[in-house]
Amino acid sequence: MRGLNPDFRVNESTVVLAIETSCDETAAAVVMGGTEVLSNVVSSQIDLHAAFGGVVPEIASRAHVELLNPIVARALTEANVDPSRIDAVAATYGPGLIGPLLVGVSAAKALAFAWEVPFIGVNHLEAHLYAGLLDDPSLPMPVVVLLVSGGHTMLIEMRGPGEYRLIGQTIDDAAGEAFDKVARFLGLGYPGGPAIDRLAREGDPTAIDFPRAMLHDGFDFSFSGLKTSVMNHVRKNPSVATADVAASFQAAVVDVLVAKTRRAADHVGAQAMVLGGGVAANSLLRERFAAAGEVDGRRALLPSREMCTDNAAMIGAAAWYRLRSDGAMPLDTGAFPNLRLTVTS
Amino acid sequence: MIVLGIETATPRVSVALADHDGVVALVEVDAGRRHAETLVPAIEFACRHADVTLPEIGVVAVDVGPGLFTGMRVGIATAKSLAQALEIPVVPLSSLLVLAHPLRNDERTIVSVVDARKGEIFYGFFRSAGDHVHALTEPRCGSVDELVADLVGRQQSIICVGDGALRYREQIVDGYRCDFADAAFPSASALVAIADKEARVEKWVAADDVAALYLRKPDAEINWSTRESA
Repeated sequence: MRGLNPDFRVNESTVVLAIETSCDETAAAVVMGGTEVLSNVVSSQIDLHAAFGGVVPEIASRAHVELLNPIVARALTEANVDPSRIDAVAATYGPGLIGPLLVGVSAAKALAFAWEVPFIGVNHLEAHLYAGLLDDPSLPMPVVVLLVSGGHTMLIEMRGPGEYRLIGQTIDDAAGEAFDKVARFLGLGYPGGPAIDRLAREGDPTAIDFPRAMLHDGFDFSFSGLKTSVMNHVRKNPSVATADVAASFQAAVVDVLVAKTRRAADHVGAQAMVLGGGVAANSLLRERFAAAGEVDGRRALLPSREMCTDNAAMIGAAAWYRLRSDGAMPLDTGAFPNLRLTVTS
Repeated sequence: MIVLGIETATPRVSVALADHDGVVALVEVDAGRRHAETLVPAIEFACRHADVTLPEIGVVAVDVGPGLFTGMRVGIATAKSLAQALEIPVVPLSSLLVLAHPLRNDERTIVSVVDARKGEIFYGFFRSAGDHVHALTEPRCGSVDELVADLVGRQQSIICVGDGALRYREQIVDGYRCDFADAAFPSASALVAIADKEARVEKWVAADDVAALYLRKPDAEINWSTRESA
C-alpha cells in the first residue's frame, strides 16, 4: 500500500477535493465534512457544443484535458486551502460519457497518488441525491428525490446516506432529452431546456392539450410520445405560436413530474421532496414543486440551480459519505459509462 | 533528479523512471485499452521497486501523441495532475520522436508511423544526429498512399517503425522498397532518455501548457465542415 496515513479517520473536518467531468461541465470543488462547500468552480463548455446541437464527446474530452488542472487550481485557491490540507480526492466515475469520465478519473487518481491520500470514485446519480443534503444537512429522512436531467428521470426514496430505493424511472426518453429534442424541432437551439423555459413565459400553457403519459399509472415516466405529439401538432398547424407550443409542452412535462413525485412522497411517507438534476433549473418545475409542497404540507427542497445542475460540490459531498462507509478505492479503478445507482432494496 | 516517463498514446501502457545514468525502472503492459486502470498502479509499482520516492521526481515526461485519443488523454491528464501536485514541470514529446529514438544510430532515414485507424496513419521523418534523432518533417496525418508518394519522392534508404508501418507493411513495400524495425509501440524508456536531456537544459513547460497533438479534428467538426462546404 502506498503512503496512506493508517490513522486517517473520516470526520467533520475531512476535506475532499472533488472533480466532475461526466459530460460537458469541467468542475472542481473543495468540500469539508460532506456538507461545507469551501469552493465550487464550474466551467461550462456549452459554447463549444452549441453549433452541433448537442454535446460532442470528442470535443468535450479535449476541452476537459485543457481546462481541468486550472479549474482544480482555482478550486483550491477559492477554498483558501493548501494542498496539504486535502484528505481525499474524488471524481465522478460514471455514469456519463466515457472519454470525459476518463479525464477526470485519471486526474483524480494522479492527484491522490501524488498527495498520498485516498481516491474515491463517485456515482454521478448518487451525487445528485446529496445536493439536498448540502442545502440542509439535517434534512429529515426519508425523502423522495426527483432526479431529472438530460440522461435520467428517476424517483428515488432516500432513507439516509447510502440507502436508496428506486421508485420509478423513465421507460424511454429522459425529461431533459425531451426538452432538447423539442427545442431542436422548434429551432430554438441548444441547450433546449433554458430556451424552452424562456420562450414558454410568453406562451399560453393551456393553448394545446398535450398528453400527460401515464399520469395516473404507477411511478414510471414516458416522454417519447409527448415529443411525437408536439411534432405532429406543429406539422398539422404550421401557424401555431411557437411560444404556445413551448409553454404547453413544458406544462405537460412538469404536470407529470410533479404529480408523480407527490404520489411517491405519499406512498413512502416522505418527510420532504427534493429536486435534483439539470432539469431542476426549469422555473415552472421549481414553482410547481414548491407549490405542491405547500398544498401537501410537506417540505419541498429546491437546491440552488448551481447545485441542481452538474457540479463538483455534490461529488465532494457524496465522496465524504462513501469514504466514511467504504474507505478508499483502489488506483486501478476505471470509468463506467453505464454505472447504475446501487439500490439497497 | 528522477524523470518519470508516461507513454499511453498506443495500445501499450509504458512507464519508466530514469536518473542521469539511465533507466532505473520500466513497466510495460499491453493493456488492451485499459490505460486508465493500468497507468497509476504501473507508476506506483515502478516507484516502489526502483526505490524512488515522489519528492525525488523532478520532471514528468509524457507522450502527447499523435496516437489513440483516449489513451493519450489518460496519459496527459495523469502527467499534468502529477506535475500540478508535485509542483514540477513537464516535458511533452511526440510519439513519432519516441518511436524513432531507439534507431538513433541508424544511417537510414527513419519514418515513424502510428496507426491512426480509419485507413489513415500519423507519420514523420527523422534522421540520426549522433546521440539523438532530429525531425525532418512536421508530424502529419494522411493515407498510406501519401506516405508512399513521399518515400518515392525522396529516393532514400528508409527504415519504417511503428504499428502503422507494420499494419501497412505490404502496401508500403509495394510502393517503395524499404526496411522495417520490429518495434510496434513507443516505449517510455526512450521517452525518459530524450526527456532527461531536455530537462538538463530546462526544455520543459508548465503543466497547464501541455497540449495534446491530435492532428485530426473531432468527427463532428469534420462532418460539420463537409456539410458547410457542400
